[in-house]
Amino acid sequence: MKMIHWFAASLLASSVASIANAAPAIGQPAPSFRATDVAGKPVSLADFKGKYVVLEWNNPGCPFVQKHYDSGNMQALQKRFGADDVAWLSINSTNESSSDYMPPAKLAAWFKQHNAAPSAVLMDAKGEVGRAFGARVTPHMYVIDPNGTLVYAGAIDDKRSTNVADVKTATNYVVAALTDAKSGKPVSKTNSQAYGCTIKYGSSL
Amino acid sequence: MPQLRALAFTLAAVIATSAAGQSLPRFGAPEKHVDAELIAATDAIVPGQPLTVGLRLKHENEWHTYWQVPGDSGLPTQIKWQLPAGFNAGPIAWPHPKRLPVGPLMNFGYEGETLLLTTVQVPADLPAGTPVTLNAKASWLECKDVCIPGDAQVKLTLPVKPQAAPSSSAALFRAAQARVPTSALAASASIDGNRIRVAVSPPAGKTLDKFEFFPLEEGRIEAAAPQVLKSEGGQSAIYLTAAKPIASDFKTLKGVVVANGGPAYANGWASVVQAPLSAAAVGAAAGATSAAGAGASMSLLAALGTAFLGGLILNLMPCVFPVLSLKLIGLAQHRTHSGPMAAHGVAFAAGVVLSFVLLAALLIGLQQAGSALGWGFQLQTPWVVAALTVLFFAIGLNLLGVYEFTMATGVANLKAADALAHKSDWRGSFGTGVLAVIVASPCTAPFMGAALGYAITQPAVIALSVFAALGVGMAAPYVLLTLFPSLLAKLPRPGRWMELFKQFMAFPMFATCVWLLWVLAQQVDASGVALALGVLVTVGFTLWALGLSQRGARVFRWVAVVGGMLTALTFAPIATSEALAPGTRSKADAGWTEYSPEKLAQLRGEGKAVFVDFTAAWCVTCQVNKRVALRADNVKTRFAADNIVLMRADWTNRDEKITQALAQFGRNGVPLYVLYDRKGEAAVLPELLTEGIVLAALDKMKETSK
Repeated sequence: MKMIHWFAASLLASSVASIANAAPAIGQPAPSFRATDVAGKPVSLADFKGKYVVLEWNNPGCPFVQKHYDSGNMQALQKRFGADDVAWLSINSTNESSSDYMPPAKLAAWFKQHNAAPSAVLMDAKGEVGRAFGARVTPHMYVIDPNGTLVYAGAIDDKRSTNVADVKTATNYVVAALTDAKSGKPVSKTNSQAYGCTIKYGSSL
Repeated sequence: MPQLRALAFTLAAVIATSAAGQSLPRFGAPEKHVDAELIAATDAIVPGQPLTVGLRLKHENEWHTYWQVPGDSGLPTQIKWQLPAGFNAGPIAWPHPKRLPVGPLMNFGYEGETLLLTTVQVPADLPAGTPVTLNAKASWLECKDVCIPGDAQVKLTLPVKPQAAPSSSAALFRAAQARVPTSALAASASIDGNRIRVAVSPPAGKTLDKFEFFPLEEGRIEAAAPQVLKSEGGQSAIYLTAAKPIASDFKTLKGVVVANGGPAYANGWASVVQAPLSAAAVGAAAGATSAAGAGASMSLLAALGTAFLGGLILNLMPCVFPVLSLKLIGLAQHRTHSGPMAAHGVAFAAGVVLSFVLLAALLIGLQQAGSALGWGFQLQTPWVVAALTVLFFAIGLNLLGVYEFTMATGVANLKAADALAHKSDWRGSFGTGVLAVIVASPCTAPFMGAALGYAITQPAVIALSVFAALGVGMAAPYVLLTLFPSLLAKLPRPGRWMELFKQFMAFPMFATCVWLLWVLAQQVDASGVALALGVLVTVGFTLWALGLSQRGARVFRWVAVVGGMLTALTFAPIATSEALAPGTRSKADAGWTEYSPEKLAQLRGEGKAVFVDFTAAWCVTCQVNKRVALRADNVKTRFAADNIVLMRADWTNRDEKITQALAQFGRNGVPLYVLYDRKGEAAVLPELLTEGIVLAALDKMKETSK
């Protein structure tokens, strides 16, 4: 028994997964994933093949997320691009033991209360999707093109703050990336330093 | 206490409201975890003279705010000044921050109390007498595991006087100022892929023993990656990991080096580094890019602890079996003598620890001289393997009673020789310790890998103490036995069985010879092995003659001398046999391909899952794992079914590329088993494998790649 403990401990010590190494590069295929939405329905990236997909890392307890929902900014983007056949996946990678964790029903209620309109809200309490994408913060944003290639990764906009007033004057990188890509141009800004709250990942094993 | 209670209350309130199915309370709500206050270094404003003020932030326990570059998340604290006409505030002078890990991510910031300094220019025509009030709005992000934006309107009123004295807060300012890195450090930096190497020279009269690097620009380096310090040719080299994708305008590395804990400590310091980045080869030997940086980021105490544990477990590894039999004899022999048992234990421990330290010193010395070597390197040299074969053969013959271990070849009386041997018995214990290390060390036991990986990235003194801890761990059970002789009393009474047992123990020794010859067979060609076997014949002859002379047949003394000369002659070609075709590598099992970094990178790029077996013929643990786990039918079937590419990195002979690959995982020895999933992410398996462990790792990979 003791031996098994030792092995388990050494395994743990030596396999600390690095977020950095996981992150897919721009121009590379986005990692495929499968998760359950807040209604318990399985959703996978492959379901949206042929469409642009936006990934939004979400945590209602984070003031940076609140900035974009209280201002109505995030909901407006979800509706605007939803109408334009873009799939929008809001993903919550908060682990269950974090005080920010919301069970699926509560998270669904929060989205509803904020009149949000993502295609799906995904539960990722184990952080598997988050780690696969190398997501660090909420809101961390990703844009995937219809071929499944990652075309943008980073911040939602260029104003790093929790101040609602900054939304109006900010340059939105997600809008820019989708606009470029949809008009057949190469995306001019493919990367930026994502800002926000640390994603509350659980331990890696 | 009241703070704690307030915190508990807040948490309870959060939980209660969450449970009620409502959203979290609005932030900016009254609960605050950081107090802000504006203070000055002097008790008055002097017209025309710059005034030093500071924003004093007091953090509740476990809460933090951020530095000018916050790391993976967060926001730097801001101060918006509202100053009377003619006044001008400069930028914040930031005391150096701390690394604040959050799960797999890293922040840079402050806990406890900090003072953010600002210099305010005061107009020269300021009328004396009327006090002046400085106003500012400070805003920050305060975080524990949750984050709350905080702000405060702060103000400070000071009299205007022709002269000012230090204020009651002057000491705080001195302390904060000392922590603001200003002086620039002589440094040069190079980048290779995402590996960055910064060569730095500590300021005059200072040393660099441990450090933290904080980037002054965002998105340049991977905040959470292990930062490694190496001493290379008298120079200190810092290894960092660049953030991917590497920005095209990343031409200069700007950051702060905080050494030895920072200026708050006796020999601590902090300096700014600004070095142009040149593209140049940066070795991976630093482990800075390691996917499993556990070795590099370990604390010294943890490394010593793991090393001790690793040494302890080493006694249970298959490598040690031959030595175990030596120890058994030792114990049985000691039982027959009444001498102080503890002395044997101490001698054995001294042998073990000393050999570990010497071997490590040799390894470090050779590494610094530029050889890409790793743990177990001694068995990568054919003549050492051959010499060990001879040694074990000689020990076996001794156990069979062919001759006695004593320098006094002329002693006619066997009993006298016996007595002499017993008198110097502790020397035997010491020798056993030395032997145990030489044979057992090539294997990496659980825990040992991480500790060794840590050790080789550290200055020599620290590295040697880690190796010493390893030795102490290995010797501990034996020493314990000798300290409590009552445990030994459980052995049967001495008698004829002792002699038979001793003779029987010759056979594990000969078995060890077979193993060593098998190792040698993978290093040299058939004629090399034949030479080694020839040496065994001459050694056997020599020792036979020696034995006869010890029993009184004096003339055989000369026969022994001739035999010894013959031995030397046969051995000479092996000593130079490194040239003897090292080309014959261990034949790969069907389905395994030979490791090469290029091939591995290509496979990972293609999204293939790859299992890499870092092994060596001289590593017994590796052979056991191969038989028990890797060649098991269930495992083989699963490898095939899951379409996993199998690669074998054979380290039997020296191989710089494999040494580098091991370093990437913070290791410096084999075995090492790495499973790359289809996303190219690496999982490291334990040093001792079972079918179950391998299958579980494959299951886990399948699960995560869904």
